[in-house]
Amino acid sequence: MSMGRRDVLKGMTLSAGSVLLSPILGKLHAQAQGRPLAPKRFVFVVESNGVPPQHLTPSGVTRQTRKQEAGGPTALVDLPLADRTLPMSLEPVARWKDKVTIVQGLSGRVCGGGHSNNFQALGAFGAGRSNGGESMAIAGETIDGALARAVPGIFPHIGLGISKRFENNVIYNISATGPNKALPTICRPDFAYSTLFGSVAGGQARQEFQARNNLLDFMREDVRRAETRLAGEEREQLGAYLETFETLRNRQSRLNEIEHTLREKGPVVSDKYSSQVETDRLDAQFDLGAAALVCGLTNVLTISSAAGVRDFDITFRGLGLNVDKHTIGHGGSFQNHTSSDLYNIIRRYHFTLIAGLMQKLERVREGNGTMLDNTIIVYLSDGAEGHHSRCWEWPMVVLGNIGNKLKTGRYLDYPGYGQRGHRTTANMFVTLLNLAGSDRDSFGMQDTGLRDFDQHGPLSELLA
Amino acid sequence: MKRTLVAPFAMALLCGLSTPASEAQEAKSVLPKYASFAESKHAFDKSVAPLFAKHCNGCHNAKISEGELDLSMLNPDMKESTSAGRWALLSKMISQREMPPEEKQSLAEADVKTIADWISAEMKRSGKHFATREAYANGNKVNHDKLFDPKFEANFDSPTTLRRLSPEIYAAEMAKAPGVGQPFTPEGKTTFRDMGAPKLDEPTTALLIRNAIQLAHNQTNFKIENGKMKAIGNLPQEFAKLLDENLPLEDAAIIAAVQKQFASVLQRQATKEELSRFTALFHKNAKDAGRVLGVRYSLAAIYLLPESIYRWELGSGPVDDQGRIRLTPREIAFAISYALTDRRPEAWLLVDADKGKLATKEGVAEAVRKMLDDPKLKKPRIMRFFQEYFGYDKCREVFQDVKVHKSHDPRILVEDTDRLVEYILEKDQNVFYELLTTNKSFVAYKTAADLKKKRAIETAKFEENKKKDPEKFKNKKLQLPGRSIYEAYNLPDFPDTQPIDLPAEERAGILTQPSWLAANSKTDENHAIFRGKWVRERLLGGVVPDVPITVDAQLPNAPHHTLRERMKVTEQEYCWKCHIYMNPVGLTFESYDFLGRYRKTEPVLDTEATAKNVNKKGKSLGPIFKDLPADAGGKINESGDPAIEGAVKNSVQMVRKIAKSGRAEQVFVRHAFRYWLCRNESLGDGPSMQQAHQVYRASGGSMKALIAALLSSDSFLYRAPSPETPKAD
Repeated sequence: MSMGRRDVLKGMTLSAGSVLLSPILGKLHAQAQGRPLAPKRFVFVVESNGVPPQHLTPSGVTRQTRKQEAGGPTALVDLPLADRTLPMSLEPVARWKDKVTIVQGLSGRVCGGGHSNNFQALGAFGAGRSNGGESMAIAGETIDGALARAVPGIFPHIGLGISKRFENNVIYNISATGPNKALPTICRPDFAYSTLFGSVAGGQARQEFQARNNLLDFMREDVRRAETRLAGEEREQLGAYLETFETLRNRQSRLNEIEHTLREKGPVVSDKYSSQVETDRLDAQFDLGAAALVCGLTNVLTISSAAGVRDFDITFRGLGLNVDKHTIGHGGSFQNHTSSDLYNIIRRYHFTLIAGLMQKLERVREGNGTMLDNTIIVYLSDGAEGHHSRCWEWPMVVLGNIGNKLKTGRYLDYPGYGQRGHRTTANMFVTLLNLAGSDRDSFGMQDTGLRDFDQHGPLSELLA
Repeated sequence: MKRTLVAPFAMALLCGLSTPASEAQEAKSVLPKYASFAESKHAFDKSVAPLFAKHCNGCHNAKISEGELDLSMLNPDMKESTSAGRWALLSKMISQREMPPEEKQSLAEADVKTIADWISAEMKRSGKHFATREAYANGNKVNHDKLFDPKFEANFDSPTTLRRLSPEIYAAEMAKAPGVGQPFTPEGKTTFRDMGAPKLDEPTTALLIRNAIQLAHNQTNFKIENGKMKAIGNLPQEFAKLLDENLPLEDAAIIAAVQKQFASVLQRQATKEELSRFTALFHKNAKDAGRVLGVRYSLAAIYLLPESIYRWELGSGPVDDQGRIRLTPREIAFAISYALTDRRPEAWLLVDADKGKLATKEGVAEAVRKMLDDPKLKKPRIMRFFQEYFGYDKCREVFQDVKVHKSHDPRILVEDTDRLVEYILEKDQNVFYELLTTNKSFVAYKTAADLKKKRAIETAKFEENKKKDPEKFKNKKLQLPGRSIYEAYNLPDFPDTQPIDLPAEERAGILTQPSWLAANSKTDENHAIFRGKWVRERLLGGVVPDVPITVDAQLPNAPHHTLRERMKVTEQEYCWKCHIYMNPVGLTFESYDFLGRYRKTEPVLDTEATAKNVNKKGKSLGPIFKDLPADAGGKINESGDPAIEGAVKNSVQMVRKIAKSGRAEQVFVRHAFRYWLCRNESLGDGPSMQQAHQVYRASGGSMKALIAALLSSDSFLYRAPSPETPKAD
């Protein structure tokens, strides 16, 4: 069943909650009345342990394994997917084949490599210190952090994910808004639920919501009072604390405004939200992420599947695979499945969840199409092209086209590192920024190994 | 591109060099004193302005004003203007040789001193004190010789501080309760974890709020049985009274509950003004959210007060003749308690504070000694200092495939080194020397005896079964329980006594413990650069500049060469500017492998043999390795202590030499200072630092004495107030 947001929103106008029309509600209103409005949403799904490039070739494409060095193929491969079968791990999204773009051959040599590139993966920056990679340094913003500024929502950015350790809740692994300013990844779905939908949860929801408002008001007042007695560095410290209360209080007001949407479209909490099984928690996070997008809580969502050097060797027990990803990365097999099989099985599970997300977005009408039409999902690994990444290549799958701004349904394979026409992950990120309306032409750090190249601009081959 | 980037790094490098002896002599002069601006201006015009004209004004003038600095507009009267902050920055840039830039003519040491002295003296005259220390990771940039020169004078500038609780304090005080998560993450950029002052962000506050509500929920949990309220867990009377909807919500009851919560969370009584605000909050919440929720959310607020989340070290009272104010007795009680225990002060300490026992230096030292001597009081921060200083606990973070390296268990290696540190601290004599030189070691000390017994039983059983049924056991291998940790120490079996003496020519102190060596290794090979950097910074007090961003610091992939051979690339002129500080000291550890095993040879790929190692079809059967001699030679260079400089044949010889150096001992004191004061030192900390070192020496190298000296030092107890601090009401 397709439930139009317009229907929901029309209903809202009659309710008491909508007396104060906030800018957001105003926007939604415009949309409900069919006026053109183009919200843009970006989703990143980051899976640990690398994506071997040969796993992403569709039927009929033979791809030579590239050497880990400069050089390699000189021509761009650009093939339509229409008459090809998607690789096994991407089959769950076959329904949307015309929206799928497989992008191969981008490099990300500025990143350190290793088991994970951590923040560097989405940041296209290096840590300036090579210890075989895996640095946790945050030299700048990551692409999701940058997009969060470009298309801010009530929550500018939502980071959800799973950690190999059940007890880990808020971790900092792949996203950042600037140098040394990490964005959190919430790893416990039950906690993520209370953060995003707590305002309308449970029978006492209204009272809790009000008490929370009172608490925030009291704290704002109290911290401000303390702040005025201080100077210099100390004043700044409390100023930062005060600001967090201001932000949270402001968000409460905005959540209040869309309360009905949250009630209507919020997810239903199940056992999966507090499951010990990794795949259950990942499933729950996709559930929450989809609901957050549908309810308009955010326009930028990052889902981290055990990304980061501290978690990359997770075991997907929920898939019956009693073998950790580190072992798989080193060629380990399990019950007649080769390492490649295991990589594919696990990735396929992720694409099943991505398909679920796409389906949910497709069910919601928006403007003349659906929410999916205004959303881009980028799948990649923080471990670039393999278990021990060196970042000569960084395979990605892009799903969606944001109002047909991308030429999709294609298999793109860029020329090798240092060859004419070679591009980097930074160019991919610039492409996304341009889609978000930014006119920036560079992102992250320049690769000094490509100093003779123009490293600016988007991936023009991807643009419609 | 490269050229322009080199300059700042090369400049930073200079700061890492030891101070020439001549400079130490010059530093012994006394800071000038100016009674008026006229006197100060006279000195400025006579000696400072000409230096600016010669070296600085070319770029920092009204037309060009590089770095937005026009020196002609910088008011030398710091009292009547707000220029002191910029002067402080200027002083730092010049003293640390960041200016003038490399391509310009540099200032002579005497000229640097002239400028810095004038700035210090004018600041003193105008009562403006600006902290000039670096916040992060490069405390060694502060000139060592000046710091330990009793005749060198610098302004006291210990800053007032407001820092959020450490993750450990939060864990000990709050996060142990059910449902409460850790909101804080260490910053990770500083030498010691507690040194930074990370600002709170919104997700952290969101979690703090969630925790506070959970804590209040735990405190007020109850169920209704037979129409009566029944407490779940510990429900204080003061709170229970408020929860009963049948009773009126009276101010007196609210006040009792608030006082109860203040005593529990803040260890003090609420003021009248606080009581009035909280009473209003309770009423409002009860009205809006019902009695139970209303009470919980109101009690939760007390967990979120800035006083609950932050450590306050602001000081109060009159400014003394040196421009300092003293921490309040209560602040001191909290500070020394957090310094040792991760917990708020015990009751006796707060009583001591109230009684005025912490009003003197000796009173504070006595309280610290009492805590240090109390065997029942847990003091986790002492062990954490050694873990963070040496960094051996990081071996848990270096990925090793324990399926391949079957005897490796980083957790046990860390436990053993922890125990060794403890063992040395128990004796509390020549602690620094012992840490660097002892050849004693613990080897799986918790489990060795037990495992040895189990293994003997298993072996006997296996042999017996084999005797009974030789055919069945022909191809079976004995699987021994546990990991053979002793292999990391080159021992044939678990030792019978702990600690044991390892060969003195193979091992010397913490730096030759497998935990430290593995912590400073990669997954599959040694990391001579990390090892060298550690020695340079933490033992020799030098500065290694960051890797320039333009450098792709990869060693060549040449498995047929030794690490030393592959590191030859770092000897090119451009690289050597930094690597001179790391390679000569770092390569001395080549007599150990990446798991900490002592070795005389290093395996490298035998390319010829590997090429021949093929099956009939020509398919490779795997790599073949050959052993080359492990060359652990190196030298102590650029150390600032001529007595220890020169070639060494390996790390054992190197650390034994360094351990005897008084200067290295001072560097150790500097690190202890940073850890216990949670900040980098500045020249103004010289007297505190010197005294702490003297106490350490006089006590025969007692760590307890050193800690007591640091925690009762002027730097710890006094603050230089920021001039614009508003007066408390």
